[in-house]
Amino acid sequence: MCEEVQRKLQSELDSFKNTQKELQKAVLTRQQLDGQLNENEIVKGELECISNDAKVFKSVGPVLIKTELAEAKQNVAKRMDYISKEIKRVDDMIAVLEKKQDGHREGLQKLQYQFQQAQVKAAMQA
Amino acid sequence: MICCYSRPCRHFTFINSSINKMAQISSVPQPHMQQIDLTSLNIQQLSTLKSQLDNELSLFQESLSSLKIAQTKYQNSGETLGQLTPEVEGKEILVPLTGSMYVPGKLYDTNNVLIDIGTRYYVEKDLESAKDYFKRKTQFLTEQMEKIQVLGFEKSKIRDAIVEIIELKLQQQKSS
Repeated sequence: MCEEVQRKLQSELDSFKNTQKELQKAVLTRQQLDGQLNENEIVKGELECISNDAKVFKSVGPVLIKTELAEAKQNVAKRMDYISKEIKRVDDMIAVLEKKQDGHREGLQKLQYQFQQAQVKAAMQA
Repeated sequence: MICCYSRPCRHFTFINSSINKMAQISSVPQPHMQQIDLTSLNIQQLSTLKSQLDNELSLFQESLSSLKIAQTKYQNSGETLGQLTPEVEGKEILVPLTGSMYVPGKLYDTNNVLIDIGTRYYVEKDLESAKDYFKRKTQFLTEQMEKIQVLGFEKSKIRDAIVEIIELKLQQQKSS
């Protein structure tokens, strides 16, 4: 009885740790996306407040390529759109993972309690 | 034409994002925390809370120093612009090709500079608006740092309160 509970406890603990790792990864991705969105927002603001005939360049690898201001604006807007969608996706993933983690945590607590009970019982029998 | 690198851009936007995230974190659970009487929590819950706050506080410290570095870079770029006067046009400079190799070149068009505004976009600006750009950025960073400082102060107050309660509980446990 005692060993069985211990085995269950171990497997529950493993899945809890796995979920925790996944969650951490998702949160990190979320932060990175947030950073990218912010950067794009700042670039958008900067592009907005320069005059229409200003020269805008895009760096592609080691070279700078001249682009039209409108094109740059469009590009940034498109990217922000994409990043926002990604953020939504990751947010959903985080919510699911959090729920999963909570479930595992509850299971762990229950098993821990069972394990203690079993130990007490075993001690009494001995 | 001269390239004015303002590399910190990418760096600080990331930090900025974590600030926003932290601002959310702190503004959401705070009313919650005030509702819960800290003394009603057990020692384990309190220490979890404390380690959470410790993590956040060290994150604040990290963000602050990163912001400071970014700000210094902007300030340096802004000061460098001050040395770019019409008189230096045509003068010889050494252009770095790699970290250790330079080729001679001549300064051309000292009225305009290229500024990296982030996400691999560069904008040509005249000296005046370039200076304004760096001034704006420096100011923006100062504001962000002030915000973090306020948040950090609040957090450390809460943390201190938690530590106090933990000690109180421990003493109670000992005496009972």
